[in-house]
Amino acid sequence: MPVGGGGLVNAAVGTAGVALGLAASLLGILTLAVGLRSKRPALLRLGRSYAWLVLVGAVLATAAMERALITRDFSLSYVANNGSAATPALYNVATLWGALEGSIILWSLVLAGFTVGVVVKFRARLTDPLVGWATLVMLVVCGFFFLLMVGPANPFTRVAGAIPTSGPGPNPLLQNHPLMAIHPPMLYLGYVGFTVPFAFAVAALVTGRLGEGWLAATRRWTLLAWGFLTIGIGLGSWWSYEVLGWGGFWAWDPVENASFLPWLTGTAYLHSVMVQERRGMLRVWNLSLLLATFSLTILGTFLTRSGVLDSVHSFTESPIGVWLLCAFAATVVVTVGLIGWRGDRLRSPGSIDSPVSREGAFLLNNVLFAAFAFVVLLGTVFPLVVEAVNDERISVGTPYFNRMTAPIGLALLFLMAVAPALPWRKASGELLWDRLKVPTWFGVACLVFAVAVGARGVSPLLAFGLGGFAAAGAVRHLSMATVAARRQGASVFRAFVGRSNGGMIVHVGVVVVAVAFTAASSYTTSATFTLTEGSSATIAGHTVTYEGMNPPDVTPQRRQLSARIRVDGDGIYEPALNQFPQATQTIGTPSVRVGAVEDVYLTLVAVPERTGGPVVLGVIIEPLASWLWVGGGIMGFGTLLAAVPPARRRRTQDPVATDAGAPDEVGERAADDVERVPTGVH
Amino acid sequence: MAPGGGAPNDPAEVVRRPGERAELGRDDAAPGDDDEELLAPRRGRTALFTAAAVGVVLVALVAVLATSDPASSRLADSPLLGRRAPVIEGTSLLSGEAFDLADERGRWVVVNFFATWCEPCKAEHPDLVRFAAAHEAPDDARVVSVVFSDQPADVERFFDERGGDWAVIDDTTGIVPAWGVTGVPESFLVDPNGVVVAKILGGVTAEGLEDLLVRAQAGPQGAEAEASGS
Amino acid sequence: MKRALRVAVPILVVLVALAVGASGSDGPRTDAERSQAIAGSVRCPTCAGQSIASSDAPAAAQIRAEVDRRVAAGESDDEIEAALVGAYGDGILLTPPSSGVAGLVWILPVAGLVLALAVLFVAFRRWRPDAAAPASAADRLLVAEARRELESRSHER
Repeated sequence: MPVGGGGLVNAAVGTAGVALGLAASLLGILTLAVGLRSKRPALLRLGRSYAWLVLVGAVLATAAMERALITRDFSLSYVANNGSAATPALYNVATLWGALEGSIILWSLVLAGFTVGVVVKFRARLTDPLVGWATLVMLVVCGFFFLLMVGPANPFTRVAGAIPTSGPGPNPLLQNHPLMAIHPPMLYLGYVGFTVPFAFAVAALVTGRLGEGWLAATRRWTLLAWGFLTIGIGLGSWWSYEVLGWGGFWAWDPVENASFLPWLTGTAYLHSVMVQERRGMLRVWNLSLLLATFSLTILGTFLTRSGVLDSVHSFTESPIGVWLLCAFAATVVVTVGLIGWRGDRLRSPGSIDSPVSREGAFLLNNVLFAAFAFVVLLGTVFPLVVEAVNDERISVGTPYFNRMTAPIGLALLFLMAVAPALPWRKASGELLWDRLKVPTWFGVACLVFAVAVGARGVSPLLAFGLGGFAAAGAVRHLSMATVAARRQGASVFRAFVGRSNGGMIVHVGVVVVAVAFTAASSYTTSATFTLTEGSSATIAGHTVTYEGMNPPDVTPQRRQLSARIRVDGDGIYEPALNQFPQATQTIGTPSVRVGAVEDVYLTLVAVPERTGGPVVLGVIIEPLASWLWVGGGIMGFGTLLAAVPPARRRRTQDPVATDAGAPDEVGERAADDVERVPTGVH
Repeated sequence: MAPGGGAPNDPAEVVRRPGERAELGRDDAAPGDDDEELLAPRRGRTALFTAAAVGVVLVALVAVLATSDPASSRLADSPLLGRRAPVIEGTSLLSGEAFDLADERGRWVVVNFFATWCEPCKAEHPDLVRFAAAHEAPDDARVVSVVFSDQPADVERFFDERGGDWAVIDDTTGIVPAWGVTGVPESFLVDPNGVVVAKILGGVTAEGLEDLLVRAQAGPQGAEAEASGS
Repeated sequence: MKRALRVAVPILVVLVALAVGASGSDGPRTDAERSQAIAGSVRCPTCAGQSIASSDAPAAAQIRAEVDRRVAAGESDDEIEAALVGAYGDGILLTPPSSGVAGLVWILPVAGLVLALAVLFVAFRRWRPDAAAPASAADRLLVAEARRELESRSHER
């Protein structure tokens, strides 16, 4: 085992990487600041080199830590505290983001990557003060994270005293499923990705260039970040379904809320930005949404890393909390100050003709998303506020969030169905009915079908009906737009991609998720059975038969006892209980019979106390649960399509052409007008 | 409404076209902006006020967050304090004798929740033994233990090995949830009138218990203040 | 008439379907279902964020057993919740109380939403442009022509 020498190398290389990253960030900030102040293009061009240096530092730190983890160099505290000699290779690599210090390394690596991405993408415009400021902001954020690694979250401290020969390994819950290996990186790509539009928003405020240039410049970056965040949240939810053993996929716990908050504001932004591109309105609002999204990622990191709230997933308390809180406070003060200062420049020209129009729908959409985010944020921090105010201890959990967000969710589904059918500016009733006819009847049919198959309860039924309405609306819009683009001579591929079409596919994904979420959380049936070998039990039309225990599966890191359960006479499923030597609690591994209509979710509650004795088996029947992941996948796919440039059409600059009162077919085209805005500097 | 306001897609407003490059230091705020500025200075102030209001709320939030203790150190309170102790009734696992907390009026009782699998419980056990022994002769205070998620056989072995001969009750009737116990070890002090006066999270020490007893005898406030200590 | 009908028919169908759907949705009936429903709204005290229904922690298991016992003894949901609050405090319920300072958590979002909608309403009024001259037939002709021309140009490309 390469302890002494190898350990020194890892620590030295890692520390050097962190130092390089920090130094490059600071020098880059200084150079750019001087360059911006004295208007010297040569200095601004240097920003690119510093960004690369920061990336080199981050790569060095990551490589050193990964090498330490893979070679099991227990002379580093991080490895000694989180690694173990017995952890399998995949989880060993993933241990990098299994605890606080390592996850900060990953964070800075991703951030440095994005920074380099920005300077490469905008290499032709490096001397533009807007890009200069944006790069500077990115470097400031990089500098902050490297500072964390120098100060409170130093990942390369060495073990004091004797070097251990092994460690406890990562938290058993986190080494139980391969999804855990990819969920955090996805989430970080999303979180960190929002730094790019944030940096450009700040740059636009500072330079006073509040035209739409910066918006177009960051459109794809925002989309990319949003897509990663969506996938990250989806994977996290999938992980908790596969691992935690209670059949749930969303618990509204602080960590989940922390990732959901920027998603909500980010989603609001992706919609309202279209109003700004199209009508030049809502500038303050759009900037605020981007600034809020970034601030919320920092706040979320604080809430989950500081131990102020506890949660199943969060890491233990650490002094890093103070730093993150300061960062949050600084971000808030700077951004609010900037908006206050530039408020005069931000007034929106333009006007809205009618609330019943695309822009009207986007505005309402934004009010709803903002309300959604407010509910989630309030519910998350409210226990702390109440305690600070009158020392009362309360909890805010699932029942609150479900009750408060269900009406908002239903309203959003409705809006999702209607908005794509609305033309910009103004809609006539005739036009609207013409476009909504088919979706309406499809929604009604879905509702009737749900009632017919026995679904009960007003809000789930509304969700199914509105879901059908929205899905049909999205499919209709998609097919019309594709056909229209084909007619204009676009290739099949080009006709299908683009923001509008990709967006409609995302909508379909959202509907699938919403319907599955509603079904799986409203119509779950569960029971616990004590079964002797060979005996069966029946629940909600499914038969489970206990066919005996498997021989214990013992590896150095855990001891696993699994039962063989036959479901409905065909497949064998093996829910298990794991005993990890370092943990007092046993951890179950559920086994799920995945089905298109319903999942049969099996958990082993208790193993036989003597050989041949009965087992206690938990069975949960969850309708449509598997569609949650399908829907998430559709959302990811739609995001990808939205990022591909669509078939180009000639832009019309004649204001009359898209004015109100235009004949129907013009209105229909206007509905897709979003696409005509050039997608920026590429 | 500003005359310029109605013009949609003012060419100056639209996106920089591909290939277009800004000159260094050029401020490209759209001309439309400046017109607006002259014509309607009110909205800018709205932005300022809104920004200030949002800022104040957020600063307050930061203040709350900054002054919040970590979640783990915020739990030593209990709604039972100052109220009649919930029922503890059962047969001692060790002696087989019946025990009823209601029969203990006139004495102080330390109600200790424990499990044999819990390390801090093992650590606090000698202190409980010492405390019980010290109060056996004056008979002014007693210890009763309630088992938390554990096997009776393990409990008997635990007491065989580590001493202690007070009543040990296995929880089959919901004693743990009635006392609001969340984990082990947790202990409560019940006064001679059968009222809960203190809750101790985590392990106890003999000295700590004695100190608590003195404070509790002095008055209820003293005991409650102490409750978060230990 | 026809126009009113085509909107009224789907609305009517929806209302009938909802009425049928709502009629069958009484609260949970069996003891097991009641226990499950209550457990879903009780916080696991050692694992914040999760309900006792979704946790395997010892404390959660004990509170679950207590809920089962009380349900079997025929206590109402409110009695059971009150008993748990008496032992653990308000924090044991995942549903925040609706009175006092804590009640703000219910009121603030609703108030915020109403305020936001009011602002939006005012904004819509303010944003409405001065009555622009309606597009005349000649305007439309012009537009159509311009479009045709643009179209043909884009085909040429």
